[in-house]
Amino acid sequence: MRNLIAPLALILLGVALFFLFPYNLAFATRIVIMVILVLSLDLVLGYAGIPTLGQGAMYGAGAYAAGLFAIHIWADPFAGLIAGALAGAILALISGFVLMRASGLTLIMLTIAVASICHEIANRARGVTGGADGLRGIRMDPVFGIFEFDFIGVTGYWYTFGVAALVFAFLVILVRSPFGLGLRGIHESPDRMMAIGAPVYWRRLAAYVVGGAIAGIAGALTAQISQLVSLETFAFALSAEAMIMLILGGMGRLYGAAIGTVVFMWVHHTAAANDPFNWLFVIGAMVLAVVFFLPSGLISLPAAVTRLIKGGRNGGA
Amino acid sequence: MKLKNAVALGVTLSAVVTGAAFADTIRVGVIAPFSGPFALYGTQYEQAIAAYQAKHGTSVGEHEIEFIFRDSGGINPDLSRSLAQELLIRDQVDYLAGFTFTPNALAVAPLITQSETPTVIFNAATSSINRDSEFFLRTSFTLWQVSAPIADWAYDQGIRTVITTVADYGPGIDAENGFTAAFEARGGEVIDAVRMPLSTTDFTPFLQSVRAAEPDAVFVFVPGGPTTFAYTRTYNENGLREAGIEFLGTAETEESNLQALGDAAIGLNTAYHYSAAHDSDMNREFLAAIAEMDDPAAVNWASVGAYDGVHLIYEMIEAAGSDGPAAVEHALGLEWESPRGPLVMDPESRTVIQNVYHRVVQRNEETGLLENFETGIIATVGDLGWDQ
Amino acid sequence: MGLFLNIVVDGVAYGMILFMIAVGLSVTMGLMRVVNLAHGGFAMIGGALAHVFGTQMGLGFGLTLLLALAGTIAIALPLERVIYRRVYGFGELQQVLATIGLTFLMIATVNWWLGSTLLAVAMPEILNQSVDLGFRTLPAHRIAVIGLGLSVTLGLWILIDRTRFGVRLRAAVDNRAIASAHGINTDRIYMITFGLGAGLAALGGIMGAELLPIDAYYPLRYMVLFLIVVAVGGMGSILGSFLAAIGLGLLETATRYLVPDLSTITFFALVIALLAMRPQGLLGRE
Repeated sequence: MRNLIAPLALILLGVALFFLFPYNLAFATRIVIMVILVLSLDLVLGYAGIPTLGQGAMYGAGAYAAGLFAIHIWADPFAGLIAGALAGAILALISGFVLMRASGLTLIMLTIAVASICHEIANRARGVTGGADGLRGIRMDPVFGIFEFDFIGVTGYWYTFGVAALVFAFLVILVRSPFGLGLRGIHESPDRMMAIGAPVYWRRLAAYVVGGAIAGIAGALTAQISQLVSLETFAFALSAEAMIMLILGGMGRLYGAAIGTVVFMWVHHTAAANDPFNWLFVIGAMVLAVVFFLPSGLISLPAAVTRLIKGGRNGGA
Repeated sequence: MKLKNAVALGVTLSAVVTGAAFADTIRVGVIAPFSGPFALYGTQYEQAIAAYQAKHGTSVGEHEIEFIFRDSGGINPDLSRSLAQELLIRDQVDYLAGFTFTPNALAVAPLITQSETPTVIFNAATSSINRDSEFFLRTSFTLWQVSAPIADWAYDQGIRTVITTVADYGPGIDAENGFTAAFEARGGEVIDAVRMPLSTTDFTPFLQSVRAAEPDAVFVFVPGGPTTFAYTRTYNENGLREAGIEFLGTAETEESNLQALGDAAIGLNTAYHYSAAHDSDMNREFLAAIAEMDDPAAVNWASVGAYDGVHLIYEMIEAAGSDGPAAVEHALGLEWESPRGPLVMDPESRTVIQNVYHRVVQRNEETGLLENFETGIIATVGDLGWDQ
Repeated sequence: MGLFLNIVVDGVAYGMILFMIAVGLSVTMGLMRVVNLAHGGFAMIGGALAHVFGTQMGLGFGLTLLLALAGTIAIALPLERVIYRRVYGFGELQQVLATIGLTFLMIATVNWWLGSTLLAVAMPEILNQSVDLGFRTLPAHRIAVIGLGLSVTLGLWILIDRTRFGVRLRAAVDNRAIASAHGINTDRIYMITFGLGAGLAALGGIMGAELLPIDAYYPLRYMVLFLIVVAVGGMGSILGSFLAAIGLGLLETATRYLVPDLSTITFFALVIALLAMRPQGLLGRE
């Protein structure tokens, strides 16, 4: 029973977003897409312990793949998602062969380099991608052949939310499977896993590829909803923001990814609307406060509050 | 009937929020960068709008006009689109405006077509944007519009060989094509076309290669800010000027960073549609109005693009109120006087036809500041890139 | 031959600027092992102060440089006491988050104070000249940067390898607990070293401003560039950063002379190849 509370709460949150922001469905949809991207990062970073600032590479690949697929082959949304997932997975596989041999700062730099190369390729292949102007002309068929993407974004929201729920459920199952537990083991002690004969390299690569596929799905959704793909999908800023959202919410918990994303984007949206010139103060202060007072992320807030209220001697952080 | 009004949810819920507003208030949503490295654009738009409203009031006929500002950050089409949706659905705006970057403008094209919302582009300069929706109107310029005239001017000065050096992205390629087409049509020769990566920080290799090839001039297009700064510095330091290789540019010497370029900028040639030093009473009045703002931002083409954009919106509202198609119909062919000179809204490309001036950077003896001194009009043209 | 000489001259000059800007990072990140993404922030603060003192107030270049460096260090030391001291103990990712948050605050402050336009740093006349090398000219400020870069390398090498302070620093970095037990005041060593890193960042920001001009978004714009230098050089190695900066400068310059259209892709591909072959960097330990 207890296991059901959290997923139900998450679904309720999704439904609540719909009713809380009836005029901002486009914004709510962007949050949900970002949650998927951050979830992919949670698998890669939080579970498999692969530090990356280049998750945007797979996100962008998914976005361009889904966009091009819709324009040239088939405009069905779900087929587009598969195209995006494949593109993300293939890119993760190819780059992962090299990347997974490295670790730490070197690995971070390598992931940044991969995203930069993708950015440059998409910029130069402007005949195919539209270059800096963006890939335009994406017009999707109705979802299931029934629900048209409407002006207000109702279809877009439920479609995105449905995909996010599936991705989330998939990840919950995955991280509890032997594969997921193995990843956790590698994260915590690669040497020990190596000693008991686990194929560390291949497991990390597999996690990276699955993470790439999910990031590709997020990218595909963004292409389908925005009907435009820009080079900025590959930008360092996007990958960095995704990482901030994840650490903010709490890594290796899946729920943390969702909470961190919602809080970050909501604060950003509100602060930017109230004082566009100085909202960076708010974001910077929030990030610092979390890292100092809630090192395990916002998801540890209830526990921290409980400790504070009980005021027990063992309560010190 | 407007689609957005046809959706029951939107209407019922918005009645609650906007119920207090008067029926004759017409809202204009402005989507522009107010934060991040490009925040200056947002400030310039805001101040130009305030300057226009200070002079012409906040109402036209029976319509009260209200501007709503939304921050798009940098290049972010997803955000731009969702802001436009929010403005159209929740705030019930009848006009959209702003748009500094091409992808951000393109992202709203399907929305404005569907909702028949006239959208005035204050800056984004890729010709083909206007093909994506007939509700786009542009009061800025296109890259072809300014890079072809500088080629004409160069040829008239006896320049016969040129190397083009442009940043390797959409706008840079547009500028390269515009320049090359015009220069070769006159009989000049482009001996090399260099495309420099956007991430370039050190331009020495490119400019040394140019120097070695000894053309009569070098044409440049790089994005504003740090890139322009580094390029012009490098142009001077590597002795291209002493070697007699003329500098041909467009927006490189724009006013917001001109003082930072320092003496290195003196003598640089550019062709552009607006200089803050434009000699007219209307321009001086415009500058004075901006100077009265709190913390006035530098006045450059973005300011004047917004100022004329507001004028166009006022004209449209006066003629057609909130009727989008009628408003666009009225705008086409409209003529008016701007701080930059006379303007005509080209009915075909929906970009203004305007004077493009040759300017040279010099130090104003009175103020001691650098300025783009206009030596004359090269051409009066519309969007030359429309048919490309 | 001319082309080859051009590549060498421009590459070394550019590489030395990269080194000057990144060397402070290789002190804080390489020696002290703190992932200091706010490094560019200190460079920007130095540049912004130099803009205020030099360009706005019109002080001479020497005085400006001195005041800007002192000002940056005066800002860095309290930050070290209040924030960084706790950051040292964090995991890598928490360090990333903390220093990014700090960077945001620095950007917001400079943006609020001086706006988002370019902040020009006035160079003295003598550095604005061009020097004739016989086969071509080179701007004087690049020659100055080359000289400065060499002396900084030498100075740091002496400081770290040849002085008592250096011995203590290395001891403190290798094992803080044992160093403390031996009576070394590690808090003080860390503070001084951090101040050194910030001061070097400011020096690099000011001297490199001709190429990487200062504005409020400087720390984010060039963050990747700084990190690449340190990663390629190898953590914990000043000499490694030096070689990496010169090597990357030569590499980038060469690709721009030889394959201008493909230079970005070539550059990153070569960086990937290098890091794939030597994950610990050129001279990294471990």
